Amino acid sequence: MSAKSSDTPFLGAPDTLATRVVEHQFSFSGSQDGRLNALIVEAVNRMGGVGEDAEDNYRLALEELGERAEEAVDVIAAEYDALPEEQYLDRWSLVQLLSELRQPKAAAALNRIITSRIPAEKARGSHDASTAAEEVIIRTTAVEGVVRLSADGVDEARKILLRHARNRTFSIRRASVQGLLETGDDADKRELRALLKEKGDQGLLRIKRMDVRQVPQATGGRFVVNPDVKREAPPPDLGREEG
Amino acid sequence: MATCTYTVPDKSASGDNFYGAVICNQAYVDYFWNTYGFSGNKVYLDDGWGWDDCCNTSKPLARAFNGCYALTYSAQDYQNDSYNSAILNWGRRYVRENIDDLRCFCGDGTAIARSKGSGLIEVYLGFFYTKDVPGRAETLIHESRHQGGKPHDAKFPAGSTFGAGKSGADSTWDYEGAWMYGALYLWWYYAAGARTTSALRERARQRGNLVIDNAFATHPGYSI
Repeated sequence: MSAKSSDTPFLGAPDTLATRVVEHQFSFSGSQDGRLNALIVEAVNRMGGVGEDAEDNYRLALEELGERAEEAVDVIAAEYDALPEEQYLDRWSLVQLLSELRQPKAAAALNRIITSRIPAEKARGSHDASTAAEEVIIRTTAVEGVVRLSADGVDEARKILLRHARNRTFSIRRASVQGLLETGDDADKRELRALLKEKGDQGLLRIKRMDVRQVPQATGGRFVVNPDVKREAPPPDLGREEG
Repeated sequence: MATCTYTVPDKSASGDNFYGAVICNQAYVDYFWNTYGFSGNKVYLDDGWGWDDCCNTSKPLARAFNGCYALTYSAQDYQNDSYNSAILNWGRRYVRENIDDLRCFCGDGTAIARSKGSGLIEVYLGFFYTKDVPGRAETLIHESRHQGGKPHDAKFPAGSTFGAGKSGADSTWDYEGAWMYGALYLWWYYAAGARTTSALRERARQRGNLVIDNAFATHPGYSI
């Protein structure tokens, strides 16, 4: 049996939390088009879906937004600029949306996001929380958006990838190099290799995108647990009941 | 005792809105409570943390349950948690075998979670509100690896977003440390995650690549 007691009343004073709920973090101060704004909110919301129909629901939301994709790009880009810096997940979701819409005109906005200065780390002293890491994830997601445009044949996208092959941030350089190698033409690749040689950064060419099944796997654990406490999981689709 | 506040968006890409409708089932509540270290720690989940409101995904407990749901059910064949399968399958087993107590605190903003030894994990506000749902599963696996006996053994490399030269990195992929476990879980989630969206899988890919690029003293030489 576990040596742990049940939920014994506590004599100390644990932390207290107060939460305030807002509908969403977007202001849409530059867009008076309520229908378009709602489509954007719905698409962002559906990104976080769960269940067997999660992807279908997300695709449906993207499809509806896609009918107004050209207008949406401007609104999304403006909303990204308007969000507070610390809303990392919300900012990321807008960049992901720009990437999904695959609009050539989004290349400029994505480039601006990649190019923007990464603010100084706000979680100094931590090994797992990093605001700089959140910023880099936003930018590498923007690189992925540019890669998709490059795959669609957008010339400006290939130029952006080449430009960011010399970005000061390693992950952005790595993503740009891999994206151009996958979607650029022979001339792009020659130019890229010459650039990396000039910079002494040819090591980036050796980092390969791999299937997870091809990399060394983790060994797993060897812990023995109390079977009275740790039983099997119920099925994943029980639906909603009172908890 | 600390008192903290947080403003939570009702609609966002974190995954919490939709997980909320799923986890609000007594079978899941009982399972997660008894399996992933909540049992015996009610006091740390009271006073605004959601013990009396465990279906409300603006509260930490429900958001932790959402991470537990992702951890438990993101493999298509979730019932197979053999250590011979992928970490997407056995991650849940590894967490339940290594975390005995999961406790919530405000924190000071400098950490998402900490492994305190003897099966105790502390999680802070960022775990619930800056991490998306699969990211919370990643955190539980990362901290479980510390409980399993693998501390970080190296300094972050030059140019690392986690702070070049600071301790807290893993030396190599083959060290099989906490960063490798977390990145590998995200990699599998990207490649084969079930009951989720391509957007959350893409976010897992981006986070996994960030870890691979920045958290190993020697870059593994591959990416997602």
